[in-house]
Amino acid sequence: MSTKQILKLDNVVKKFPVGDGRYFTALKGINLEIDKGEFAGLVGPSGSGKTTLLNIIGSLDSPTEGKAIVMGQNISELTHKESAKLRNIHIGFIFQVYNLLPVYTVFENVEFALILQNVSASERKKRVMEALEWVGLQDLADKKPDKISGGEGQRVAIARAIVKKPDIMLADEPTANLDAKNAHQIMRIMKKLNEELDTTFLFSTHDEKVMKYLERIITLKDGSIAEDKQVTPQKTLK
Amino acid sequence: MIKFLFKGIIRDSSRSVLPIIIISLGVALTVLLSGYITGMMGDTIDQNARFETGHVKVMTKAYAENKDQVPIDLALLGVDSLVKSLQNEFPDMEWVKRIRFGGLIDVPDEQGETKGQGPASGLAIELLSTKNNEVERLNLKSSLVTGSLPTQRSEAIIGHEFAEKLRISIGDSVTYFGTSMNGSMTFANFVVTGTIRFGIASMDKGAIIVDVWDAQQMLDMEDGAGEILGFLNTGVYDDEKAEKVKNAFNSKHTGNKDEFAPVMLKLRNQNNLDGLLTYVDLASGLFVAIFVFAMSLVLWNTGLIAGLRRYNEFGIRLALGESKGGIYRTLVYEAILIGIIGSFVGTAIGLGLTYYLQVVGIDVSGYMDQANIMMPSTLRAKVTPSLFYIGFIPGLFAMVFGNMLAGIGIYRRETATLFKELEV
Repeated sequence: MSTKQILKLDNVVKKFPVGDGRYFTALKGINLEIDKGEFAGLVGPSGSGKTTLLNIIGSLDSPTEGKAIVMGQNISELTHKESAKLRNIHIGFIFQVYNLLPVYTVFENVEFALILQNVSASERKKRVMEALEWVGLQDLADKKPDKISGGEGQRVAIARAIVKKPDIMLADEPTANLDAKNAHQIMRIMKKLNEELDTTFLFSTHDEKVMKYLERIITLKDGSIAEDKQVTPQKTLK
Repeated sequence: MIKFLFKGIIRDSSRSVLPIIIISLGVALTVLLSGYITGMMGDTIDQNARFETGHVKVMTKAYAENKDQVPIDLALLGVDSLVKSLQNEFPDMEWVKRIRFGGLIDVPDEQGETKGQGPASGLAIELLSTKNNEVERLNLKSSLVTGSLPTQRSEAIIGHEFAEKLRISIGDSVTYFGTSMNGSMTFANFVVTGTIRFGIASMDKGAIIVDVWDAQQMLDMEDGAGEILGFLNTGVYDDEKAEKVKNAFNSKHTGNKDEFAPVMLKLRNQNNLDGLLTYVDLASGLFVAIFVFAMSLVLWNTGLIAGLRRYNEFGIRLALGESKGGIYRTLVYEAILIGIIGSFVGTAIGLGLTYYLQVVGIDVSGYMDQANIMMPSTLRAKVTPSLFYIGFIPGLFAMVFGNMLAGIGIYRRETATLFKELEV
């Protein structure tokens, strides 16, 4: 694995038991490499295996067969604690639903990721404000999640994921709950972070608005990679 | 992290208010009951010691075997020398003679005819001596309802209700009829100088208190006494010290087969107090155990409900890279924080209620008419230093234990389904 390589999947198979000793094969021998700084997306219809693949890359699940190497670590060989550590340090998640902790302020929601890394209070303050600045929400730091809009909520979720400066950001349908204007704003922010911080982004999506920003589109069909192509994002969007 | 958790507890009332209320109630109840039992038992022990058992008591072996019948024919003789030897051997104790006797009080009118009669329960103490604390020990001055304490021989004080029943006035002469130590009939006249109310049903029913010298003369028991009571100078019963004194005294008389040989009993060995105190200890322990069990069950359920409500939060935290063990530990830390707050509030409430019951008490005189154990007719709680922490241990333990049980669910959570769960 090269120093530029973030992840490498080698013939990854994932099977789920469906009773009577039978299995449903969600991933059928996936081979995939993603390098640092890529802005890629897994696309495909529902049930094609996008989320299952994202789960494995995010060390939330492990493959039934094959090898999944993320940041040089074999997912299958990690304990729960080691998986948690991998997520804590190297991986950021952005969900379709923003999933902010309702009793904490915007600042505290973003800060939580750093508390888990035992970052000092002064350093946390600096980095949280920096992350909020990236997403343009520094003025909403003291607001509670129920006082901000959906688009702002997703930007807070991005700040929470990016504040720890992960090597790879996994985003599952990040624009699904947003209108077109907010969706574009979110994608522009993520593209900017990708360019400025050299953070790798891997999306799972079937939203055309997201696809327009991607530089690499990996199409999944029935658990296999049907197509993997480099694309040029529309210039107007950039 | 603790600060972060604390903010969550304070802001999310559903996470903290119900457990704090449950713990506060439980702890308040524990503190109150503990204070009440301590007060009640403390008063009972104290009253038994002061009025009947002493911290230790010396009797003849035969008297000890039948002490409930107050058999003055089996009383100790040569008590002056015995008291002196006890004072020499155990100088940190006060030794006093007492005689219990029973008989009939007859109240004559101006013509010498009987105007009232009633059974009397007599107690002879060293009333006129200035070398002991018997007057203070029995609270005679503060128990006086009318009149004054005897200042010379052949004077007596009697129970106020008894006096009212027999229509006795201060200065009236009453005649005691009874049996002497030798079994012959005896009588003596006493001038009533005062009436008393101890607030102890078994004493107030028909008490007459005279000086021990008068009783010795009346009962033909010169240099005799039914009992010699020993009191530790601290005034507080100490079972360990009493046991040592008892063993030291009895070891000198173990070989003596004479039924009139002296024998010493400590407070716990008398009036079924040993059984009662053991029962109270057991009951207190059982109460705390039941409290911890019940609270743990309730808090376990509260924890489960909270766990369901916070299902999403735990999912996000797992996704952010917090380990299951880490989340479990934070649940325990939260439980400790909530347990401390609840225990603190509960202790404050419990202490307030205990103090109220210490001042006001509960009047149980209506239930004490037939009581043969010496208990105060107003049961009071007592605020003791132990009450400041006694509720903390079960309160905190129940909260932490309940949440530890509820938190086990974290370990059953599958991270593989997090995306699905967090996107609903």
